[in-house]
Amino acid sequence: MPQPLSSKDHALFRQVVRNFEQKQYKKGIKTADQVLRKNPNHGDTQAMKALIMSHLGQLEEAFVLAKEALRNDMKSHICWHVYGLLYRQEKNYEEAIKAYRFALRLEPESQPIQRDLALLQMQMRDFQGYIQSRSAMLQARPGFRQNWTALAIAHHLSGDLEEAEKVLTTYEDTLKTTPPVSDMEHSEACLYKNTIIAESGNLERALEHLEKVGYRCTDVLAVMEMKADYLLRLGRKSEAEEAYTALLDRNPENSVYYNGLIQAKGISEDDHKALKSLYDEWVEKNPRGDAARRIPLDFLEGEDFKQAVDAYLQRMLKKGVPSLFANIKILYTNPAKRDVVQDLVEGYVSGKSASQQNGSAESKDEFLASSYYFLAQHYNYHLSRDLTKAMDNVDKAIEMSPKAVEYQMTKARIWKHHGNTVKAAEEMEKARLLDEKDRYINSKAAKYQLRNNQNDKALDNMSKFTRNETTGGAMGDLHEMQCTWYLTEDGEAYLRQKKLALALKRFHGVYNIFDTWQEDQFDFHSFSLRKGMIRAYVDMVRWEDRLREHPFYTRMAVSAVKAYVLLHDEPDLAHGPTGLGANGEVQDEAERKKALKKAKKEQQRLEKIEADKREARKAAAANAKSSDGEVKKEDTDPLGNTLVQTKDPLNDAMKFLTPLLSLNPQKIEAQCLGFDVYVRRNKHLLALKCLSAAYAIDPSNPTLHLQLLQFRKNLDGLSEPLPAPIGDVVNAEFEKMLPKTQKLDEWNESFLAANKESIAHVHAALSGRHLLNPDSKAQCEADLLATLDSAKITIEEAAAAIDLLNKWGSEISAYVQKANKKWPESFVFQQN
Amino acid sequence: MVDIVPLSSFPSYIDLLPSIQTCNITNLPENYFLKYYLYHALTWPQLSFVAVVRPKNGYKSGGSGPGMAGDISGEYPKVVGYVLAKMEEEPADGLQHGHITSLSVMRTHRRLGIAERLMRMSQRAMAESHRANYVSLHVRMSNTAALRLYRDTLGFEVEKVESKYYADGEDAYAMRLDLQKQWLDWKAIEKRDRENDKANAKDDDENADEGDEVGELGKKEDGKEGEKLVKVKVGRGLGVGDLVERNESQQS
Repeated sequence: MPQPLSSKDHALFRQVVRNFEQKQYKKGIKTADQVLRKNPNHGDTQAMKALIMSHLGQLEEAFVLAKEALRNDMKSHICWHVYGLLYRQEKNYEEAIKAYRFALRLEPESQPIQRDLALLQMQMRDFQGYIQSRSAMLQARPGFRQNWTALAIAHHLSGDLEEAEKVLTTYEDTLKTTPPVSDMEHSEACLYKNTIIAESGNLERALEHLEKVGYRCTDVLAVMEMKADYLLRLGRKSEAEEAYTALLDRNPENSVYYNGLIQAKGISEDDHKALKSLYDEWVEKNPRGDAARRIPLDFLEGEDFKQAVDAYLQRMLKKGVPSLFANIKILYTNPAKRDVVQDLVEGYVSGKSASQQNGSAESKDEFLASSYYFLAQHYNYHLSRDLTKAMDNVDKAIEMSPKAVEYQMTKARIWKHHGNTVKAAEEMEKARLLDEKDRYINSKAAKYQLRNNQNDKALDNMSKFTRNETTGGAMGDLHEMQCTWYLTEDGEAYLRQKKLALALKRFHGVYNIFDTWQEDQFDFHSFSLRKGMIRAYVDMVRWEDRLREHPFYTRMAVSAVKAYVLLHDEPDLAHGPTGLGANGEVQDEAERKKALKKAKKEQQRLEKIEADKREARKAAAANAKSSDGEVKKEDTDPLGNTLVQTKDPLNDAMKFLTPLLSLNPQKIEAQCLGFDVYVRRNKHLLALKCLSAAYAIDPSNPTLHLQLLQFRKNLDGLSEPLPAPIGDVVNAEFEKMLPKTQKLDEWNESFLAANKESIAHVHAALSGRHLLNPDSKAQCEADLLATLDSAKITIEEAAAAIDLLNKWGSEISAYVQKANKKWPESFVFQQN
Repeated sequence: MVDIVPLSSFPSYIDLLPSIQTCNITNLPENYFLKYYLYHALTWPQLSFVAVVRPKNGYKSGGSGPGMAGDISGEYPKVVGYVLAKMEEEPADGLQHGHITSLSVMRTHRRLGIAERLMRMSQRAMAESHRANYVSLHVRMSNTAALRLYRDTLGFEVEKVESKYYADGEDAYAMRLDLQKQWLDWKAIEKRDRENDKANAKDDDENADEGDEVGELGKKEDGKEGEKLVKVKVGRGLGVGDLVERNESQQS
């Protein structure tokens, strides 16, 4: 049993609580110590002290003390509550919920404990638990509207739309008169109820309800959008037409509204004349707008297209709109349109346009420069590529307007497509120097440097816009400000250089940012209820559940898994790039050991530099006066050496892979990557699942083709068959994709014959042939070399071929020479 | 082509937030945590707008579900501009007004009128949804393009110069634009409310209902307890107070 405190000590204890609430942490610790001096085993005081310590960054010590507090006073709700709060800080939400539940059992009436429990239940999406908690909170305080709304949200998110609506209505029925317009909580709750009705599928009723409440909701645009959407879906065409017209009057730059209007009017997709005249009306209403002018170019054909695009191009070139080409290039999937555009703009530069005949000399020059700029981008684009012409045009544009950042940027892009990352980075750096105060061009320059594997130079550029005094300097600031694009590019650059430690470090950095974003929602579980903006809150909750569906995550995770697979296949890389060929087996053992030793030495040298820096920072920090508040944790592994020295790279890869597979199952690259990991972990069933999923997306995908062969060989080569239930499933399922009776070499050659036009497919088939029959190496090499004669082959594909040759242990010089001749401007084949 | 769409009201394209943050940190030196964007999107969902590049084949259709005319959520189009806006929470002059936290358009997409459109959408929403008296913003004195937009195109006026407003020591113009002209007619709305209330009361009299007393309870306690709630903070480590921005440009 806890000893009761004297009244003086009790007052002190209350002060500790106050200190905590007012964030006077240092004071709080002092006061707590004062109580503990006389009452060393007072659980509640120990618990409060632990809580304060946790806010001073001493979470580990806090846990020790909180456990002691619990031993001293198992029956104290404060001790259990604090214990839960510490777990919550550690993000161990399951344990936190358990502790809160204990606390609540001891003190069932406590509002703070109940609320903390509810918040965590929401964070964990324990909807049944959340419904319980919210029901209890509503019962305790039915006078708060937000308690009703919260219960409705709980039902809504758990999928019980009917109950959610009922709760909202019950509260509404208690209102004698309509609250004033300024009561936004009320109008939001009304619109929230409306979205619930609509979600239930009863659009008639949703529309009827919206008519009843919509006129008084001040989120005018939302009401208009909801109404238009309901009307269109209900097929009430003339009203829908009116609604979309009203939306376009507000904002003519939203193609979705035009779609709605066209659907409402029932204009057929093929009735180009009717469509064009509809868009023309809107051009007349908004002469300065873009959408109504641009959209018709998508559907117009022949002479109509030519006339329209001519007018569009001339207008935009005269204005010098830099995004003109980006806006036009989408049309190029239709080769006829591409050719029309090319002819027109070539005509402009040779003096065949009206714009050039009239107007001042200055505006004529601007038109001409813009046209050269357009042509440079046009010939740089993959569907209309002629890099010599591109360079020619960009040089003319730059000559006319040497200070134009955009022109110079395009020059860098042309070099990039030449496969020359060195020149590309240099030219982009020139563009940056034309406008040093602009961060956009600074970002571009840094990106091009990263593509050229110049990590340090890129960071140096970035540092011109970061806060460099934060812990970790510019890189620390980029992490703190959640600059995912840079960290991903930086990691990918390290991956290319086989510096896996730093690559993994960056990928984990991005991974942690996504974790932070998921954690960010926590405060809004209470905040949004107070603010009453419920629809946005519910949307946020649903979005957080698919947060890692975002392409930023996908791209980073794909690279991270590749890095781990590489580390598994070439464990020597844990000590840094060895500078040896791709495959260890070709080198002799002595050479390998020498290279490894060198790599290790380099790794230690870098580690030492970093450690010295850390010490220096620590010393500096010790001198500076430490302030009250959270202590920033120092990164103990800035170079990623701990990450890379993992015992089980494939297991580490799982944390990146799992969200990828669950949120982006339709992405074939993810499925193939999943196979790569599972097959190496001998998880046959999971590997097969990835193959099946990939097969369903695209059965003739080249990566998949090779993986099917690998898997068949893998199954055939097992020393003992897979255990019964798994083995049967695997065999039966795999039989559908690649039957056991199928002769593999025939199957592979017929794949090659069927897909000989695609370089990637040819690569896969040749790899397959080499895998099935290593003696065919010479023929594979010859066939691979022959692909360079294809008009279609890209520099990236040729670079991939060199990787293949390395994998086969082949001599690469013949290939490199031939490639170098084909692409003399490229840097890719000069390195080898 | 570029579409201007709402961020987090209806339809809600809140999944664009990471791309908006990237657009910001690519273009501007003043950057924020994602949580600060969330804070805007969830506190004033009506006020922020995004400029996205329409994908090659347009957006997916919601089918018979929401967004039959086109649904951008889950599509992750390229974000080339945004306006992030708020209402001033504690206006020094006591006047309810809006504030532009951040506005930017990618350099590659300038001269299309995107910034102007974004601003107009946000301004109108401030006036309609929040009865903002005016909207304020800060702009670098050297940023002539932005100045031209605010002053000449949109009609902002310079209120004062804030010396060394930006982290690099540059001064800012504090500008504002009156919004009262775009206010909704609340009197008309409330008149309609009263008529509806009267009609409903008549209905109620006809088929008497026993739910009324709960209503009284609800009404009376509302304001009173609301006060208390703000102060209760025991054991909740983080609250609104922790939703602080990190704006590198401001000395705060």
